[in-house]
Amino acid sequence: MTLEELMRRARLWRAGEASAEGGLSTGFDALDAMLPGGGWPHPGLIEILASRPGIGALRLLLPALAALGRRQQWLIWVAPPYLPNAPAMEAAGLELSRVLVIDVDAASAAGAATRPPSRRQQTAAEREFWAFEQALRFMDAGAALYWPGSLAPLALRRLQLACEAGGSLGVLFRSPDCAGQASPAALRLLLSPVAGSTEVTVQVLKCRGSLQTRECRLAL
Amino acid sequence: MKHEWSIVAPGSLPPAGSVPRLGAVASTAAPAPAAQRLWLAVHLPRFTLDMALRGNTTRKACVLVEGEGRQQRITQANAEATRLGMRTGLPLSAAHALGEVLAFTRVPAVEQQALQQLCAWAYQFTPVLAPLPPDGLIMEVRGSLGLFGGLHGLLSRLRRELRQLGFQAVAFGTAPTPTAAHWLARARQTAPVESLAALPAALSQVPLDVMGLPARLLQDFCGIGIRTIGECLRLPRDSLARRFTPALLLTLDRALGRQPDPVPAFQLPACFASRIDLLWEIHHAQGLGLAMERLLHELTGVLRAQASAIRQLDWQLHHADGSVSRHSINLLQQSRDLPHLFRLSREYFLRQQIGSPVRGISLEAARFERLPAVTEGDLFSPAKASAETESWPQFVERLRARLGDEALRGLSTRADHRPERASCATVVRHAQRARPAGPPTGSRRWPDRPLWLTRTPVPLATEDGRPSFDGPLELTAERERIQTGWWDGAEVARDYFIARNQHGSRLWIFRELAGARGWYLHGIFE
Repeated sequence: MTLEELMRRARLWRAGEASAEGGLSTGFDALDAMLPGGGWPHPGLIEILASRPGIGALRLLLPALAALGRRQQWLIWVAPPYLPNAPAMEAAGLELSRVLVIDVDAASAAGAATRPPSRRQQTAAEREFWAFEQALRFMDAGAALYWPGSLAPLALRRLQLACEAGGSLGVLFRSPDCAGQASPAALRLLLSPVAGSTEVTVQVLKCRGSLQTRECRLAL
Repeated sequence: MKHEWSIVAPGSLPPAGSVPRLGAVASTAAPAPAAQRLWLAVHLPRFTLDMALRGNTTRKACVLVEGEGRQQRITQANAEATRLGMRTGLPLSAAHALGEVLAFTRVPAVEQQALQQLCAWAYQFTPVLAPLPPDGLIMEVRGSLGLFGGLHGLLSRLRRELRQLGFQAVAFGTAPTPTAAHWLARARQTAPVESLAALPAALSQVPLDVMGLPARLLQDFCGIGIRTIGECLRLPRDSLARRFTPALLLTLDRALGRQPDPVPAFQLPACFASRIDLLWEIHHAQGLGLAMERLLHELTGVLRAQASAIRQLDWQLHHADGSVSRHSINLLQQSRDLPHLFRLSREYFLRQQIGSPVRGISLEAARFERLPAVTEGDLFSPAKASAETESWPQFVERLRARLGDEALRGLSTRADHRPERASCATVVRHAQRARPAGPPTGSRRWPDRPLWLTRTPVPLATEDGRPSFDGPLELTAERERIQTGWWDGAEVARDYFIARNQHGSRLWIFRELAGARGWYLHGIFE
């Protein structure tokens, strides 16, 4: 296959092409200025790679999520690693009546005593992935957040397509070990703490519509 | 029968279309002028066999046999059996010689019930209908033609929907009288007859055996060389009654519209229950798909007929070992949407273990709820859009069916100082769209709270009396004392601190005020 042929294929994305998606303001001016659409690509799939827990990966998203809630959009949390704390979310301005938490472990823990496991049954991770993809495809879903265990590149591609089909914002929280992998996500950010400071460095690993990798510091 | 016959004046035939004065029969409801009515007879020549096979896809030859012992003869055969040459009338022993064949026998009680259920399903097309045992329906369709796009539209829709119920062979007959429609259907004369005047000509070529006469009578007719209704009608009236039976003349008069042809009123059942027996033992839920779709198709037809919807589906699996397992699927919103109900059931059974092998599946729906007049989509938006776009309740139901009811939770706050109680998971309800009553967002003044709470407090290791988590922790100066709950047995007495380790993680930790005074991690400021 020649390069020309490859270029003619519609599925190929070229880094220099401007992104068609509109931006959803992140609520942080420094970050908005760095992103080509002036905010989160919406619709689109975002990956946030945080080097440690508790450095603010979720706080980075809160202003945008609160804005979606004010527009009466749904917010779906798939497989959060801890219990979402309702008072803190309310204080951050999230619309609690528009929040749906999906936790497959809770269901399997309740049903484990009565049902023996089966070879043919999907694992909890597979069902979580399914639920996340369905949430992205569901037109009404404003944003869906997902904390996956591990994901194959093909699975990421499916999620990106699901975002485009559903017009939703998908956010994946992954480990920084994945930074080296190729990813079809519209935007990949790496978060790392700044030593001796309460600030966090946000580094753009990949961004549609922009070739440069840039970074900024935010106080989260 | 004798006295009914006696009131018909013997002799010359009255002119076609006129209804003679009657004494004894006049007590039945006076029919509308016969010319205005149009009766559609649905004849299902393979009714029993199709009912038995509807839950499976099989390429095997299947036949229905009647008779005893060596006299067993084929009365219905599926497509594969017909291809192999197993025609009706062939002895079963001869069929065995032609190839492998599955033979079924009739169970009249089951058939009768199935026919009643088919009537309840067909009620969506017309309110005037009745079963025609053993294998057909009669429906008055004049009033339905406008809605379904004329007779042609109605027939093609009926044919399509009956196929989805599992009836592959269907014959229609349309005539101004029920009896004539029935005969035309059984004779496979599908051309509709719209007026009484055209009836004698249309029936003239119809063989006598569609009339369901006793075998002896048929033989008598055969003996004098009469094989069609037309030939029979040419005989003089009085000699026909004398030589055969007076009831025969009444039947003919009814078919031609010279006598009232009453159809008993059909009583709609108040609930739905239907069962499909499977040909083989099914070990995995995937194998139940077709049977589930057929049953749901039947249910949604019955619901459409009654302008109703349901809130709960009750599935029962009949296992090979004789046990029955029950599976109820609750809906957030009443529905009778076939694709949605099927998707839900499929997702549900994919998640479930079906346990021991299954031989039968049944569906019950007890409580029908009336739907408001406009139900299937907005009147002004295209129907296609409403069928394809899922509503939020439908989406949530689908997730619940696949993941389990416990997997989906809403969130709400509660006025309690204990952090683990201030945040609570709620059951997802349909009413979730409405905002819960309470103070507006953000009005409650909480001290700084983390976005994550650990499921239970995690004990922290200590180094030189200082707590550590991924390195020693630095505590902020402010502390928040939470000491409450002595009245309900879940007393807490804790000092909460915000802590930070050298990697920049902000954590919410507490120290117990009583007992071992241990340090615990309770939240993460993510």
